[in-house]
Amino acid sequence: MKNFTEPEGRRNTLALLLAGGVGSRLNILVQTRAKPAVPFGGLYRVIDFSLSNVMNSRLGQVGVLTQYKPLSLMRHVGTGEAWDFTGRTRGVKILPPSTGFKDSDWYKGTADAVRQNINFIKSHPSEDILILSGDHIYQMDLDDMITFHRDKQADLTIAMMVVEMSEIHQFGTGITDQEGRIVEWEEKPAKPRTNLASMGIYVFKTRYLLDMLADNREEVDFGHHLIPRAIIRDRVFAYPFTGYWRDVGTVQAYWEANMDILREDSGISPEKWGIRPNPYADGQPADRCPARFVAGCRTRGSLISAGCRIEGVVENSVLAPGVVVGPGAVVRDSIVLDDCVIQEGAVVDLAILDKRAVIGAGATVGHGEGKEVPNRAHPTHLYTGITLVGKEAEVPAGARIGRNCIVKPWTKAAAFPETSLADGETL
Amino acid sequence: MKLKPKTLAMILAGGRVDELNVLTYYRPKSAVPFGGFARVIDFPLSNLMRSGLERVAILSQYRSFSLINHIGSGAAWDMIGRYRGVFILPPYIGYGQSHWYRGPADAVYQNLDFIHYHSPENLLILSGDHVYRMDYRAILDYHREKDADLTVAFLKVPLAEAHRFGVADLDDEDGDLGGRVLRYHEKPAHPEFSWASLTVYCFRPEQLYKVLEENQREDQSFEFGRDIIPRFLQRGLRVFGYKFDGYWGYTRTIDEYWRTSMDLLGPKPPIPLEEWGLRTNLEHRGIRDCQPLQVGNEAVIDDSLVYNGCRVEGRVERSILFPGVQVRKGAVVRDSVLFFNDVVEEGAVLDKVVSDVNTTFGRGCRFGEPAGDVARGVTVVGWRNRIPAATVVGCGCTLYPHLKPELLNRPIADEEVVR
Repeated sequence: MKNFTEPEGRRNTLALLLAGGVGSRLNILVQTRAKPAVPFGGLYRVIDFSLSNVMNSRLGQVGVLTQYKPLSLMRHVGTGEAWDFTGRTRGVKILPPSTGFKDSDWYKGTADAVRQNINFIKSHPSEDILILSGDHIYQMDLDDMITFHRDKQADLTIAMMVVEMSEIHQFGTGITDQEGRIVEWEEKPAKPRTNLASMGIYVFKTRYLLDMLADNREEVDFGHHLIPRAIIRDRVFAYPFTGYWRDVGTVQAYWEANMDILREDSGISPEKWGIRPNPYADGQPADRCPARFVAGCRTRGSLISAGCRIEGVVENSVLAPGVVVGPGAVVRDSIVLDDCVIQEGAVVDLAILDKRAVIGAGATVGHGEGKEVPNRAHPTHLYTGITLVGKEAEVPAGARIGRNCIVKPWTKAAAFPETSLADGETL
Repeated sequence: MKLKPKTLAMILAGGRVDELNVLTYYRPKSAVPFGGFARVIDFPLSNLMRSGLERVAILSQYRSFSLINHIGSGAAWDMIGRYRGVFILPPYIGYGQSHWYRGPADAVYQNLDFIHYHSPENLLILSGDHVYRMDYRAILDYHREKDADLTVAFLKVPLAEAHRFGVADLDDEDGDLGGRVLRYHEKPAHPEFSWASLTVYCFRPEQLYKVLEENQREDQSFEFGRDIIPRFLQRGLRVFGYKFDGYWGYTRTIDEYWRTSMDLLGPKPPIPLEEWGLRTNLEHRGIRDCQPLQVGNEAVIDDSLVYNGCRVEGRVERSILFPGVQVRKGAVVRDSVLFFNDVVEEGAVLDKVVSDVNTTFGRGCRFGEPAGDVARGVTVVGWRNRIPAATVVGCGCTLYPHLKPELLNRPIADEEVVR
């Protein structure tokens, strides 16, 4: 029977968003914030994509499980008003780890995090539970996935997509039968036998999930523990997804996904996808005026947010609100976050500047041809030429910063030993 | 009670004006878009917010929908809370009471019960259709300091232009700050004084009540400038002028609207929008959900303001683009103001155009003449027009809203009106 309290068209499904990810390969971009809170595409944060997908799928009850540096995430989610999660039957709750009589520990894994919030699940009675991560850039009709799940009378449905064989070792992989049922599972296989990868989006029957979690408290991870067991015993289906999907977990992937927005044929379009930012969160983008293009400036192939002031040259770049590009300054192939100032004649080439960084007059960030010299401290993070400048860092006038460099957050201009930082160095 | 606000602000937002008729076809003058993302009424509302005056009434009767929509809950200006709020007061029918607002003073009179309910110490009455930044605390301080019954804000204007305003003779009692109003003439044919009223009034409520009663009993017109100020002076009440010397922008005619808009641009814009901290309601038309402006690979944007949600692939010079405007490849927009969601298709050229929302300029359209001749008129285009491809329209034309396309299948001469 239809639940009378369930508004027309809304599913009796509770959403749990796993937003605890550290995303350490994003280096200084996650020094002060969790991966889902990393700014993206000028006006957004990564988590906006998941939250908006949940909203657009007409789900109204959401728990956001946080653990790592949750402050900017909490500020950003706020009351959830930006995603229409306020009202009588809608709500968003931040669920941090907490101490208690029994569960007095940090979240030990995805399944453990959900297990530690069983009270939240029980206090929001639901037929199914949607579990997803807040780490990815994509658009997906989760409502359709829930319909699929119910049509198949599945205990668990996992969203899966085809990925390159060279990348499959990073994912949970499944082999399906003709019906779409998953018959075999390998978590991050060294020698993959399939190219079908899990996107970390699960729909569980609520009753089923609660039973699974109660069975064995040692099972702390969905991919490693619960899913393999479920596949052997119960009805587990793969919901096929095709379309743009990116894990922006590395500096290179983050840079590429931002640049994808600039290209019409890339398949990503936050506005068309119905992705909602939260302009009332920190930094008050709500107060921003239109972007100002001063006479003599040149802007091409870029994404420019409100509140920017462009006097110099901007090419192939993504500018968040309030960025100032001074006269004669050049910003090329870069991502510049909120309220950075690039002073007169400075050059920013292939770099990511975190919020409120100041590049002094005539300085160069991303200098020279040494793109192949990886960062010495973090060779696996920076090796394609991208230089990172941390939050509120100051690059002194006339300084030269090479490729694959890191200028740590809050570095003062006085901290620069000399006027140049060689390729691959960290300050 | 310290928390209770001592000042109640009322914004006169009802009017439409014939000179602006294409842009005020579906909205009051105060709701006309301005500044690339906002509305004219956002200026007084932002001023009130920054002056800490957050109990506000808005008097409105003409096509209020757009205005009501824009104000929303008032949260955009932080006018929401136990001692804060914004109230829209439309005309109503009651016992012995069944007419529209017959003028601004009548509008206030008809809402006296609302004012009594709040029993303010000062009543600040503003018009909702000027572009300016003012800290109202300064005029309120002066009003209190002089123990005035009425304080009016004035701006010095060239005598040649003074006939368009209410003008006053002020003494120099307080130098640059203000002085007593000695004489006041409403829009005189031959003005003798150059202090022009800005329609920012600060009243002692008890005196206003008496004068409004008198105005209702004895007059046929209900204007503050024409009827109320003279009655204050007649009664020998304490009427002071507060001298304002900042920027003051008018939007009464299309030319004025265009010129005031152009004051947003240039190397040192007379309206430094960023510095003023203008706030608007991002819920209105959903502009909060726009993505950043997309600038195409061949685009040129020069000396312009462009908001989120636009897409520019052509050339934009000395222009203001509201959210959702698209300028396609090869199109040129110069010296123009394009409201929300206008589309300029490939190869269309617009010079000195003000266009209302949801209008599409077809491929190869030609509007106006290239600048250089500043005297050429502004062409205004009403909302929801679909201008057929290759249409040629002169300078200073007026195109009414939602025209049938067959009306535009011919060249439109300079200064022509199409309706």
